[in-house]
Amino acid sequence: MTVTLMVGAVAYTPNVVPIWEGMRDYFADTDAPMDFVLFSNYGRQVDALLAGTIDIAWNTNLAWVRTVGQTNGECRALAMRDTDTVFQTVLVAPAGGGLSGLESLRGKRLALGSQDSAHAAILPVHYLSEAGLGSDAVELLRINSDVGKHGDTGRSELDALRAVLEGRADAAAIGINTWDSIGRDELMPGAFEAFWTSPTYSHCNFTTLPSLGADRADPWVAALFAMDWENPQHREVLEMEGLRRWVPPELDGYQSLFEAVEKQEISLRW
Amino acid sequence: MVKDTVPGDPEADPGLLLDLVELVGRTPRHGLVLVPLAAGNSEDQHRTVAAWCERTGNRLVSVIDGLATIRRGRSPDRFEGLDPNQIPGTRLWMYTNFDCNLACDYCCVRSSPQTPRAALGVDRVRQLAAEAVDAGVSELILTGGEPFLLPDLDDLVSACTDVLPTTLLTNGMLFKGRRLEALRRMDRTRLTLQISLDSPTAEIHDAHRGPGSWDRAVSGIRIALEEGFRVKVAATLPYEQTHAVEPFHAFLETLGIPSEDRIIRALARRGVADQGIELTVETLIPEITITATGVYWHPVGAEHADQLVTRDIFPLQKAITQAIDKFTGYRADAVSAAQWFPCA
Repeated sequence: MTVTLMVGAVAYTPNVVPIWEGMRDYFADTDAPMDFVLFSNYGRQVDALLAGTIDIAWNTNLAWVRTVGQTNGECRALAMRDTDTVFQTVLVAPAGGGLSGLESLRGKRLALGSQDSAHAAILPVHYLSEAGLGSDAVELLRINSDVGKHGDTGRSELDALRAVLEGRADAAAIGINTWDSIGRDELMPGAFEAFWTSPTYSHCNFTTLPSLGADRADPWVAALFAMDWENPQHREVLEMEGLRRWVPPELDGYQSLFEAVEKQEISLRW
Repeated sequence: MVKDTVPGDPEADPGLLLDLVELVGRTPRHGLVLVPLAAGNSEDQHRTVAAWCERTGNRLVSVIDGLATIRRGRSPDRFEGLDPNQIPGTRLWMYTNFDCNLACDYCCVRSSPQTPRAALGVDRVRQLAAEAVDAGVSELILTGGEPFLLPDLDDLVSACTDVLPTTLLTNGMLFKGRRLEALRRMDRTRLTLQISLDSPTAEIHDAHRGPGSWDRAVSGIRIALEEGFRVKVAATLPYEQTHAVEPFHAFLETLGIPSEDRIIRALARRGVADQGIELTVETLIPEITITATGVYWHPVGAEHADQLVTRDIFPLQKAITQAIDKFTGYRADAVSAAQWFPCA
């Protein structure tokens, strides 16, 4: 008898429900059926994974790093979105404001997203630090609008952009997905411009523990990879989740975040 | 160090984009969200909202009095829930003529012996048939009036059957002499005859269509079958009678009409019918219908101004697109209305 896999995800928007209902319906027709559990924050979700309440967690990059930390590296990543392999942080300022490159932030104020957002807070600080720009060089305006959800809602990034519009900050650090969602600099050419874009890094992945054997994990991953953008029913789910295809995890893409978490002494439980 | 103003287009309101992302982002899929536009430059903002919706796969429903209504996500398939044959543009109706040897008291287009012919003509039918193929139409349907009153009906039918499967609606009463010869020249492999018969006995049928019409229609069905045509039988009944048709089915069984070739349709309050169900463009799935005077929403309204799509028959594709766009709009409005006024 096939045992249903339990997948955890964080409910950061009402649309998480149709996404995972769509996934559940898709997997019901495979030999690796699944159901899902929604959590209010990533800390609880990782707890549930470690406790065995769920078999697989749909984790952000920070949740992955924290799971690795709490399992001494024994957890493993099963898959990620194609878009997760090329995620970037974008520094945005008013168009024509004269900022160019990280160094131009010296003496300026940078608005960051929620403190547990890797792309809008942790990694931007890391990139500044690597460029020799510490807290004495760049003033940070932290906007913790959606703590617990690792920046998934995007609200803290929008608030950071509002801070720029209102003159409370010179620039904002946001994810490439938020930059895309406001139309980059194309819908309102005179408003914002991107003056620095980070190297690509990995974002979310499906995380599991050794207790989930290959006999159960492999068929599920195979079915996941079989989702087809050209299939209208599959595409509806894929579009909502923001990808065209599922791909194997690119673990090298987490190196910068591991370093950032260590240097910034980010709590193990975030 | 920190700027007080945003450089660039003085009319632009970048905050609008942030509001759009936030408000639409937290709206459930297919849900509606209202986004207020700032006073003074609402036209610029309207354009911005429209461009943002287009780019992000959301649908701008309307902008009224400075308030943009947006539906989250892509619109559902505009033909969702329709049978493939119901998708507008799949079938093309053509009114060959409007005059008729009968004067039925419920005729939706007021046909009678006194009605002007208003013939479509073989040249236009041939062009329509050719354009129909290119437009993706899969079946042609010829109706009237009574098509067998036309002296060149067999030419007209062959112009259709040469390119697509075709159905010809008739009262079946004129299959003799030169008209029978014309029938015999038609392509049995491509043409279906649909003959009107309202009841299993003469009484009801003749009450609406005239004395003796039932006998002649039944005779016509038998002739058409003997000549090797596929014959469908269509009955027009008051809505309350459409659920008590067992005797009618039993009778059609004796004629050899299979169940899939029996059509029971409710009487519509159109034309000379003073009773029947109301059919409006807002509530009716379109069946693109061509007459000599224009393109209509549905054959049941082919002489009613409210169902006129366009006076321009050609190019056919454009007319079909116009009807589909209107239909899509009506469906979207209906869905929007349901969202606006939830009952539970």
